[in-house]
Amino acid sequence: MVNRKLVKFLSFRYIILSIVFIVLAGGLVVLPKFEKQEGIEPEKLLADAISPERYISTDVLADRMINQDPTLLLIDLRTAEDYNKYALPNAINIPIENIFSKDYEGYLNQVEYDVVLYSNDNFKADQAWILCKRLDYKNLRVLKGGINKWYSTIINPEKPTELMASKAFDLYSFRKAASMYFGVAYPQKETEKRVVAKAKPKVTTTAKVVVPKKKKKKMPVEGGC
Amino acid sequence: MPISLEKIGFKTLKLKIMGPLIPNDIIPFEWNSIIAIVIGIFFGFILEASGFSSSRKLAGVFYGYDFAVLKVFFTAAIVSLIGLLYMDYLGYVDMSRLYVHPTYLWGAIIGGAVMGIGFVTGGFCPGTSLCAVAIGKIDAIVNVIGIMIGIFIFSELFTFFEPIYNGYFQGNITLMDSLDVNPYWFVFILTVVAILMFAASDLIRKRVKKVFY
Repeated sequence: MVNRKLVKFLSFRYIILSIVFIVLAGGLVVLPKFEKQEGIEPEKLLADAISPERYISTDVLADRMINQDPTLLLIDLRTAEDYNKYALPNAINIPIENIFSKDYEGYLNQVEYDVVLYSNDNFKADQAWILCKRLDYKNLRVLKGGINKWYSTIINPEKPTELMASKAFDLYSFRKAASMYFGVAYPQKETEKRVVAKAKPKVTTTAKVVVPKKKKKKMPVEGGC
Repeated sequence: MPISLEKIGFKTLKLKIMGPLIPNDIIPFEWNSIIAIVIGIFFGFILEASGFSSSRKLAGVFYGYDFAVLKVFFTAAIVSLIGLLYMDYLGYVDMSRLYVHPTYLWGAIIGGAVMGIGFVTGGFCPGTSLCAVAIGKIDAIVNVIGIMIGIFIFSELFTFFEPIYNGYFQGNITLMDSLDVNPYWFVFILTVVAILMFAASDLIRKRVKKVFY
């Protein structure tokens, strides 16, 4: 038993399929177009923007710098003039107007380093952070308080009063030691200064000592077999 | 204290499933080869089931008695194009993350010409020849041996061919990039052209003497 209606319908199958194709393709042309969202989604951007994790404190930064963290990449967003007056060691100067210029894109749009953005306070750095985060750049942090905070905490730490908790004293001693590392001299402690002065060359000498040690290690190697 | 997202009127983030599945880590990268094998098995099965392991059917395109190859491959291309553009439009696939084959202009032209000559004379393209080997066709076995010899000659003379092989690099471009046309109009016109071509190929087939195989 052949279903005649079906046979008749199926004899037009190629024409029907062609019409389906053209309608589908035409639908693509007719569909209302909208601008596509580039970079990360707005919800995610907002969630990251209000998260305190996007900040790095001056103390944590100082600690990582002193320990010579190789993943750290400091980016100075101030003008070149300010940068030449004072900048954090090994910072790269990218004025905020130039963050999207091709010369600097490689520093910001990468995954190898932890980028720390800073400016005089965290205002410009926040702007740059939002702009870069919007494009889904990874591993971006903002130095909380910027250079001003750096001065008031690391370079010139405030001495805690006697009534403060012992943690405050620990923090103060850390900050003071850090400031010595970053080159601040304390004239009231001449004796300590000498020690520091001696300690600094020691660092370099130990670094130099390492090289001959390696050579010594190479010496006893003999052609065994 | 951090502000919670709900308080300022945002819904909580949901895991949004968006293709391509493997580059977006929805399917782990390690499944790559397994999925490839499964797709390959189905591909081979359908090639064989639709008669593409017959060199006569494949060569029919060039002699005008069978246009199945042209129709099948063009239809496949159009289906995937329309489907991808719709899925991209609806946000299921991120087209910018799809793999685009790099273009080496002269390498592709010369290679395409060599492959075309092989296709006419042998009656197989590399995929269908393996498919035909699987069902034991002798001409396909000869064809695959020929392919192997060709590969051997190419690799022996690679230093000679290298400037063409690696030269004229155009990047991972698509036709839409290089012609700078609206993709939607392009697909629409391509669809219409393809259907007209199918109709024309039917007319040609009716005029050409029938070949039984």
